[in-house]
Amino acid sequence: MTNKEKLKLIEETLELEADSLNEETNLEDIPKYDSMARLTLIVLCDDEFGKLLSGEQIKKFVKVKDILDFMG
Amino acid sequence: MINPVEFKDKQILLTGSAVGIGRAVALLLNQMGANIVMIDIDEPGLEKLSSELKGERHKSYCYDLKNLEGIEGLVSGIVSEKGPFDGFVHCVGIRSRRPLSMLKPSAVADIMGVNFGSFIELVRCTSKSNHFRPGYSIVGVSSVSAHAGSASVTAYAASKGAMESAVRCIAKEMANRKIRINTVIPSQINTPEYVKLRKNSPSEVEQLSERQYLGLGEPIDVANAIIFLLSDMSRFITGSSIAVDGGFLAS
Repeated sequence: MTNKEKLKLIEETLELEADSLNEETNLEDIPKYDSMARLTLIVLCDDEFGKLLSGEQIKKFVKVKDILDFMG
Repeated sequence: MINPVEFKDKQILLTGSAVGIGRAVALLLNQMGANIVMIDIDEPGLEKLSSELKGERHKSYCYDLKNLEGIEGLVSGIVSEKGPFDGFVHCVGIRSRRPLSMLKPSAVADIMGVNFGSFIELVRCTSKSNHFRPGYSIVGVSSVSAHAGSASVTAYAASKGAMESAVRCIAKEMANRKIRINTVIPSQINTPEYVKLRKNSPSEVEQLSERQYLGLGEPIDVANAIIFLLSDMSRFITGSSIAVDGGFLAS
């Protein structure tokens, strides 16, 4: 999956506006980026990419790029 | 001196025995002389547990209980090889945290299938004539989640609620065969699953902990209640759900 596709997937999953994210977006600037959003992304990484992301790990992510890199 | 809880040479079927509550049940039953038949998907966990059990008559079966259709053949095979059961404890359960937005039909089916579907199928198969001995007692491990809502555990909570409802019906249906069936309702118990949850969501765990007057439970606390329900000491108890929750549901 390309980074563009991953960004689209994240936007859809978190119900954000299309094209509202880029790699350099700070996670804290995403609307309603709360514990539920983080859990949603954890489940997404597992379901779509087979990667187990822990709560501890995701809390250390700063930018959207960190998530994209983790997805592989 | 009498021992009101007697398990010498009793054969108990146990699912989810590799870790946590199931493991505590296995070790306790072993100390009491029972033969244990274990079903779990975790092969290394089963091997490790088997190496700790004393006695030669235990047997473990590595099986994914998601495969509901194969359970009938598995149980028949076990009974042919090992004989009928005196008890059955269902400790297996998928407890993945999944927000509603990510709770797609396949995830619901998986969780309901393993947690509830396999329980019903194992009860159905082990309650056939000549698959159980007089005094057969079944215990399902439920959860306070079935009674107190928490975010992101919808399917898990539903599967445990389904188990408790089913147990009330099965108790009535199986009474004429003298089969008893009950559930235990644990709250937060010190298992690997709990340790992971505490690491990932410390504030949520803290909030839930405030409801448990007696602090964090240990697997042996739930195992003790399960052994009671398996034994003749509880011969007048069926269709019940017993809280082992440090006061959680009373708070």
